Amino acid sequence: MLRGTLTMTAALAAAVLTLGACGGGGDDGPTTEGGKTQLTVGVIPIVDTAPIWLGVEKGFFEDEGIELKLTKTTGGAAAVPGVMNGEFDLAFGNIMSLMVAQDQGLPLKFVANGTTTSGQEGKDFSGVVVPKGSDIASPKDLEGKTVSVNNLKNIGDTTVRYVVEADGGDQSKIKFSEVAFPDAPAALAKGDVDAAWILEPFLSKAVAEGGTVISWNYVETSPQLDIAGYFAKNETIAKDADIIKKFRTAMDKSLEYAQANPDEVRAIVGTYTEIDEPTRAAMVLPKFTPDFDRDAAKLLGDAAVKYGTLEKAPNLDDLLP
Amino acid sequence: MTRTGGLPGRVLIGPVPGLLGIAAFLGAWEVAVRGGLVDDRYIPPASTVLVAAVDYLDDGVFWRAVGRTLGAWALGLAIAATAAVVLGILIGSSGVARRATHSTIEFLRPIPSVALIPLAVLVYGTSLQSTLLLVIYAAFWQILIQVLYGVQDVDPVASDTAVSYRFGRIARVRYLVWPSALPYVMTGLRLGAAVALILAITAELVIGGGGLGERIALAQSGGALDKLYALIVITGLLGVAVNLVMRAIERRALAWHTSVRGEVPV
Repeated sequence: MLRGTLTMTAALAAAVLTLGACGGGGDDGPTTEGGKTQLTVGVIPIVDTAPIWLGVEKGFFEDEGIELKLTKTTGGAAAVPGVMNGEFDLAFGNIMSLMVAQDQGLPLKFVANGTTTSGQEGKDFSGVVVPKGSDIASPKDLEGKTVSVNNLKNIGDTTVRYVVEADGGDQSKIKFSEVAFPDAPAALAKGDVDAAWILEPFLSKAVAEGGTVISWNYVETSPQLDIAGYFAKNETIAKDADIIKKFRTAMDKSLEYAQANPDEVRAIVGTYTEIDEPTRAAMVLPKFTPDFDRDAAKLLGDAAVKYGTLEKAPNLDDLLP
Repeated sequence: MTRTGGLPGRVLIGPVPGLLGIAAFLGAWEVAVRGGLVDDRYIPPASTVLVAAVDYLDDGVFWRAVGRTLGAWALGLAIAATAAVVLGILIGSSGVARRATHSTIEFLRPIPSVALIPLAVLVYGTSLQSTLLLVIYAAFWQILIQVLYGVQDVDPVASDTAVSYRFGRIARVRYLVWPSALPYVMTGLRLGAAVALILAITAELVIGGGGLGERIALAQSGGALDKLYALIVITGLLGVAVNLVMRAIERRALAWHTSVRGEVPV
């Protein structure tokens, strides 16, 4: 019995190890070749990552001696493990995901900002939508209702709880259900959920189909709220401080360029996503700005602790550059 | 090999009912959407989807995605098949080994490959190895089980004959075990080929890293419904093609089988 089990296990282990030896996720740290340093960055192909694609196209990274390799990850699932196992030198991820990762003891830190709420109610890329004819008129009406978010215990439910509480409602009585953004408008129309937290480009679409935005949850949490950025392992940041600094310089330049040239943002989004031209022209863009707002991050972190998403308040010095 | 001698009429009839079935399905889809039975905001009509599918034919990026998916499928299936055949013959040839591994195999086999996605992402990230791990795991058990059955299906009379002729180990496997097991191996391969394709696309869809699965995820996250359904139709066609190829291989490899059996009175 035991011998057979061992043989099978050994055979499987050998198969797995052989595959491992073929290369792949193991190479650690940036590699320099011919004066150019190659950096691999894991990005989600969504509007939010437009500045980095634009920065590559405009040569901002090349100017700093960086050869940037962008790898698409279909969801956030591969970002944190990808950075931890060295497949990516950096990755794009939202601020709440990183707070959670840090809460669990993972040594990760933001290097550069990625996206920020536009700060304008009525014109942001994130909102809570109710269908036509719904009796939900303001955030506090969400008490006792079902709200869809793409991921539980993340930035969506935390900010929705925050705005409901700020509006005088009982946040503990909201039921959250996990629905992917592209499926949220259909779930809303079918009545599976009473309200849906949706991001662009699906937000504009849901509104065009008769939905009403009852809360601009990012703006109402804080008009300066940073949503996501580019992060790396502490080890990489310490060991390759020079190249990380250059990445930051190029990334900041890309963010400023994207903020100043919204038409180029809309155009480049068409190159790495399947969002069609009319939708790209109509969608509301986030704000792209280099500096993180610490007060807004602290507010979000404290809210997350209060609602049980985090065990302890995040140390912002360990989180933000 | 004798199948090519069929009547011409039968060849014509062969694919016709199948094609009619597909046409009826597409027609029903079109009518259901146009007639308002299904909301066209969520499912575009069949004609729109077919146009989107045809548009893909001269898209280089699309063909590279197909190449990536089929590459992962073929490589994964080859590794799984080699490992399963070698281990299957080794284990199946020995009663002790068979009994010793039985519970382990029955424990590992039902673990769904998709449950290994977190492990694959942790170890291999978005690289090809991630996809391969899932493909191999899924296909390996399908083939291994068939090989094990096949090895036990050796005719006892033939086995005794081999003993009297003092066949060595190698000769036994080459002339006795392998031919007896081959029909089972082929069935295993066909089953394995189908799940390997499913897992290749699932892995790309969930993990990313390229291929048709990633194109589907992109179309979904971009709200490009016509492309999304076009890709789904294309993956369906790919499944049909894979099955046809595997069946052709099976027919070729076993062409001798029934005829030999037919001539030898047991």
